[in-house]
Amino acid sequence: MASDFLPGTLDMLILKTLTRGANHGYGIAQHIQQVSEDTLRVGEGSLYPALQRLLVAEMVKAEWTTSAETGRKVRSYQITAAGRKQLAQEKREFDALIAGIARVMESV
Amino acid sequence: MTVFSRLRHWRKRSQLDRDLQAEMDEHRQMLEDRFIREGMDAGEARAAAARRFGNTTLTAEASREEWGFRWVDTLFRDVRFAARLMAKRPAIVAAAVFSVALGVGANTAVVSVLQALLLNPMGVSDADRLAVATVRLDKLNLPKAETSGVEWRELRDMRDVFTHVAAMEGRYWTSDLGGESVRVIGRVVTPSFFDVFAVQPALGRFFDDNDREAVVLSWPTWTSQFGGDRTVLGRMMMLDGVPHRIIGVAPEHFRYPVRARVWTPLQMAASRLQKRGYNMTLTVVARLKPGVSFHQASARVNGYVEALKNDSYAQGKNYGYFVDLHGFTDFVAGDLKRTLWTLWAAALAVLFTSCASVAILLLSRTAGRRREIAIRLALGATRTQVFRQLVIESLLLGLLGGGVGIAMAAGATSILGELAVPQKELLALARMNGSLALYGLVVSLLCGFVFGLAPAVQLMRDNQAAGMARAPRRRFQSVFVAAEVAAAVVLLVTTTLLMRSFWAARQIDPGFRYEGVTTAFVLKPKNDPGFLARAETELRAAAQGPVALAYPVPFASEGLTAGFTIAGRKVQSGEPERHGEAHMVTPGYFRTLQIPVLRGRTFVDGDSADSERVCVIDSRLADEFFRGDDPLGQKIGMYGGPATIVGVVPALRATTPESRSRPVVYYALAQMNSTSTVGVLARSPGNTAPAIRAAIRRANGSVAVFDVQTLRERLDELLGTRRVVALLVLSFGGVCLLLAIAGLHGVTAQMVSERAPEIAVRLALGAEPRQILRLFLASGLTWAGVGLLAGLAAFAFAQRWIANLLFQVKASDGLAVTVACAIVMVGVAGAVWMPARRASRTDPQQVLRHE
Repeated sequence: MASDFLPGTLDMLILKTLTRGANHGYGIAQHIQQVSEDTLRVGEGSLYPALQRLLVAEMVKAEWTTSAETGRKVRSYQITAAGRKQLAQEKREFDALIAGIARVMESV
Repeated sequence: MTVFSRLRHWRKRSQLDRDLQAEMDEHRQMLEDRFIREGMDAGEARAAAARRFGNTTLTAEASREEWGFRWVDTLFRDVRFAARLMAKRPAIVAAAVFSVALGVGANTAVVSVLQALLLNPMGVSDADRLAVATVRLDKLNLPKAETSGVEWRELRDMRDVFTHVAAMEGRYWTSDLGGESVRVIGRVVTPSFFDVFAVQPALGRFFDDNDREAVVLSWPTWTSQFGGDRTVLGRMMMLDGVPHRIIGVAPEHFRYPVRARVWTPLQMAASRLQKRGYNMTLTVVARLKPGVSFHQASARVNGYVEALKNDSYAQGKNYGYFVDLHGFTDFVAGDLKRTLWTLWAAALAVLFTSCASVAILLLSRTAGRRREIAIRLALGATRTQVFRQLVIESLLLGLLGGGVGIAMAAGATSILGELAVPQKELLALARMNGSLALYGLVVSLLCGFVFGLAPAVQLMRDNQAAGMARAPRRRFQSVFVAAEVAAAVVLLVTTTLLMRSFWAARQIDPGFRYEGVTTAFVLKPKNDPGFLARAETELRAAAQGPVALAYPVPFASEGLTAGFTIAGRKVQSGEPERHGEAHMVTPGYFRTLQIPVLRGRTFVDGDSADSERVCVIDSRLADEFFRGDDPLGQKIGMYGGPATIVGVVPALRATTPESRSRPVVYYALAQMNSTSTVGVLARSPGNTAPAIRAAIRRANGSVAVFDVQTLRERLDELLGTRRVVALLVLSFGGVCLLLAIAGLHGVTAQMVSERAPEIAVRLALGAEPRQILRLFLASGLTWAGVGLLAGLAAFAFAQRWIANLLFQVKASDGLAVTVACAIVMVGVAGAVWMPARRASRTDPQQVLRHE
């Protein structure tokens, strides 16, 4: 059900999703699943704890808005400036990690 | 950063909770909508959404974890749950709380006495920096004598090891507090006294070098006699008719010496600083210099004395002269130390037993809780969470019991000062305070943890292999029962030994008849030479039996110790040192105490200040120093010149029944009366105290009468410590035994009821009831037997410490051990017998029908 992410990557993915614009939990999970072409399925059991974590760390802001599509109230998350900085740093670290793994795998 | 942010969010947590809940509902709703769009019908869609969404509760909890301080909320929740559970089982809770309260209460009470006497003796917080000096004269059998002015001067001059050295002397005065002539006990001290103890005055100031007729009040005196009046400074207080100016009040916590009501300054005459061995009435207290250890100071003093004996004080070698340093605590409470630590160990045994007893209680209930825990585990609780909640339950139980225990200890400490023991003023200093309550709290939490561990472990195991868990539980319980029996055995053996010691001490015949004699002390008036004669006349008229005036009073103190010479008789080889006690008595003394005369006569009225000085010796003196020769007519010189021996009386145990007196020389009070206090003895039926007071008042109205007690009361107080300790250990042992019996009974009863079907089958198949009885008896008694042996082994290990408390009884006394074991076995057998008998009486038809 929930994929085993490398620890911390979920936070990064959520933050990246939010740079496209404010979104609610369901929307974020949908986006990640679609864009990764079903490779990454975020279970709700991991999504909400991660959102709370980001909220407490003040990387994102939350507010209740009315959804344009359904007319219902949804809780919408927005990335903050600190969140953007955090995203940039995590992306750098992740890239370095991937490059390291690649070098090992390609060595003879 | 994050901590503050967490705090902020934690404060808004209920709002955050609601938001989260609503958010997740919305999410599920959106999933449902999508499924409906994709073609499922409403019901299917809802079910599918719920499935996809997963376990809401777990998600919510995991999310809430991010807010931090979760553990606080969890703690509160666990505590509330535990409290609800406990409210449903009041009987068990009450039993457990009572057990724990006994253990914690006994422990805390003993520690409060330990604190007042050993850890913080009489309010002196750094007692390990203080030393007390005494003089030892080995050849004269004076192991711990007070010092003379010379020793004080010499120690004071050792500035390399001591910062302050003070000398103190006991004094009684007659004062007019409250309009009546009362005796005031106090101390005369050199000015640096309060500096030695590093205390600051609560009011006013302490002595300086110029003070003469000044007085410092103790805190209790200031609050009770002067009402805590702050204007008391500068007022006058009469001491023996001499006005003294009140210059200060000592702080509340400082209570050394515990009986002192006032302090006055000690002005030492120059001669006192020169003559060694003269007026040895000083207690010298010194403060060690920072960085100097007790051993270093001791070595310094010993080195000095050795040099002295080789140089200017050669006679010191003849006397076996030493100056000993004692730690302040040792000096003040030394003989009580061992007793107190023994009591503490006994209280620990009680604590240990009550923990075991509560563990057994909780273990017996585990069967009922298996379902509850299984359900909780199924609902998603982790094993850690359940285990934690179980431990919290026992901690709560421990805290409740501890609270009750601390209250009990507070009550106990407040009546300690009433005990009839010589150290009752010291005991009265024991008080419940913050640090003691903290100790009690920590102990009860530890207990809760300890006794909760076994049932918690057992319950978790229960749920893993249901039904198979009975055997380990039984084993747990049996081990605890064995432990309880062991503790009971140790305490009861100790009790029997202590009681035998007390009884032995009680049985000793001191050599005179003390029943029916009332005694009192009076302070001799300064300018009334005929007082003693008049007093005796009045007393004779008032009492209905023989009366006497004497110093010392038996069982109150020992006589004046001094060396003596025997005229015309050289020291024989093998003869002990010529050192003994002087007693000053009126002729009625021997009749009042019914002391027979062995040879010659005792005093008569004709032995007055004008006639020839006479004395009476005791048989110890006669045997050791006259060896078969007739002592009558010989002359002894002890106090005030030679006196002719006119009679011999038996040697008595007049100071304390547990040890022999020194050789005694009796003087006629009319011929020698040097002490400021004189004792009154009157043999008379009934309450003689008012008659004595009235008689003394008639002789001289301004004379203070104090310390009125019968000789029997004085003897009881001397033996009081033995009696109190024996009773305490007896009650501790009794509690342990009761708990052990209750535990064993409960475990056996439970075993019987659980195995009822098996018993029924056996009986139906032809087993004799007797065999069933034997079966359960054997199983119960086996573990109890293990406990007994363990207890005996533990006692054998500990007997070395108990040996010092015993009197005329050896720690390996077979009779005591047998009696104690017998009592325990009877109790244990009774505990097992009843359920076993019930088992053997089972009606197989009844039981099998129910199955």
